[in-house]
Amino acid sequence: MAKARAIVKRLKAVKNIRKITRTMELIATARFKKAMDRASEAAAYTQKISELVSDLSQANLEFHHPLLEKHESEKNSVLLVLTSNRGLCGGYNSGVLKLALNRYKELKQSGQNVRLEISGKRGISFLKYQDTSAAETYTHFEDRPTYEEVDELASRYITEYIEGKIDRLDVAYTEFISSSKQQAAVHSLLPIGALDTSETTADTITTKYDYEFLPSAQEILNEIVPTAFKARLFKCFLDAAVSEQISRMVAMKGATENANEMVGLLSAQYNRARQSQITSEILEIIGGAAALE
Amino acid sequence: MAQEFRLLVVTPETTLLDQSIQSLRCTLFDGQIGIIPGRMPMVGRLGYGELVFRAEDGSESSYFVDGGFLQVQGNVISVLTEQAVPVSELNGSEAEQQLQEALARPAIGDEQCDARERDQLRARAIISLTGQK
Repeated sequence: MAKARAIVKRLKAVKNIRKITRTMELIATARFKKAMDRASEAAAYTQKISELVSDLSQANLEFHHPLLEKHESEKNSVLLVLTSNRGLCGGYNSGVLKLALNRYKELKQSGQNVRLEISGKRGISFLKYQDTSAAETYTHFEDRPTYEEVDELASRYITEYIEGKIDRLDVAYTEFISSSKQQAAVHSLLPIGALDTSETTADTITTKYDYEFLPSAQEILNEIVPTAFKARLFKCFLDAAVSEQISRMVAMKGATENANEMVGLLSAQYNRARQSQITSEILEIIGGAAALE
Repeated sequence: MAQEFRLLVVTPETTLLDQSIQSLRCTLFDGQIGIIPGRMPMVGRLGYGELVFRAEDGSESSYFVDGGFLQVQGNVISVLTEQAVPVSELNGSEAEQQLQEALARPAIGDEQCDARERDQLRARAIISLTGQK
């Protein structure tokens, strides 16, 4: 009897876990859809900005802006790591953290002062475990990062970069390529190498407008460079949020499937255990009856 | 009107408006500009201030725009801004506080002076808009 009981207990536990993972999968799916909508809505802004930049580049300008220029020596750099606040999302956090840690070591080896900034509880606790201290930690970026919150960060980086306090900004996050492919990546956001104009050239060639610039193309450029940087940083956050939900969805789907398999296996075991128990009981009774005769 | 004239207001988070309009009036960096169909293509920097457009049915709507860019391209006007708030939702007393804070803030160096000036301009624009109602 003892063995069958133990199996029943396990069976119940597995069923309970299955319920939880199934629910989490559904929640992640709903959140993923919301995050995805937000990301695609935000894409309109980024696209417009790059459209404007390509329009500006037609005006034969020299691109001069403190954010575009590389500092002569790279001494102080910032590494921003975007992880999630919650776990149970498969290899999402470990992928980002592995890359981030590599980059961190690389930068350290090249003799730079690296300031580590981490968003997400998972990343914070991981790096604490690695004995690496983070200068700043953020936990308020959930699955719906708002532009205002990102703007605050971005403005700080911009001033620090212009004032020469930092010479480089790297962001480690999970890049969203398509809904079936996400990839952990480290990108350098500052200095902004070249502003992306290639994306839109294909469709703007046919519609060339002779713009009037108010005040002047140069001044608009000065204004648009920080905006483009902010939009890029915001996109990183949105990408990270979408990818987190996708990897949680996938992880929970796997967990539910495993639980299903386990339930099948355990109930087969339980049935066998019960059957052998009954058989042995009958044998005992028959044996007892035979002894009485 | 024979020609369709479209207004797009895009913020980093969403496309706020996408509709046909008759005319548009908004604040550039140095003053107001009015745009009616057939405007020459232009790119302009927006200031802090009001954006008013007359919809197809003749009704006027008014928004507060928080800087950004304006692009006129044929029949499409794109407004790229960090934030656009309907004037009715603005909070005048909060802006008053921000103005006082910005006026009292000490600023050292060009960067900080610019930032202070920006904050003041922004707060004043909000106050004057809420005062109109």
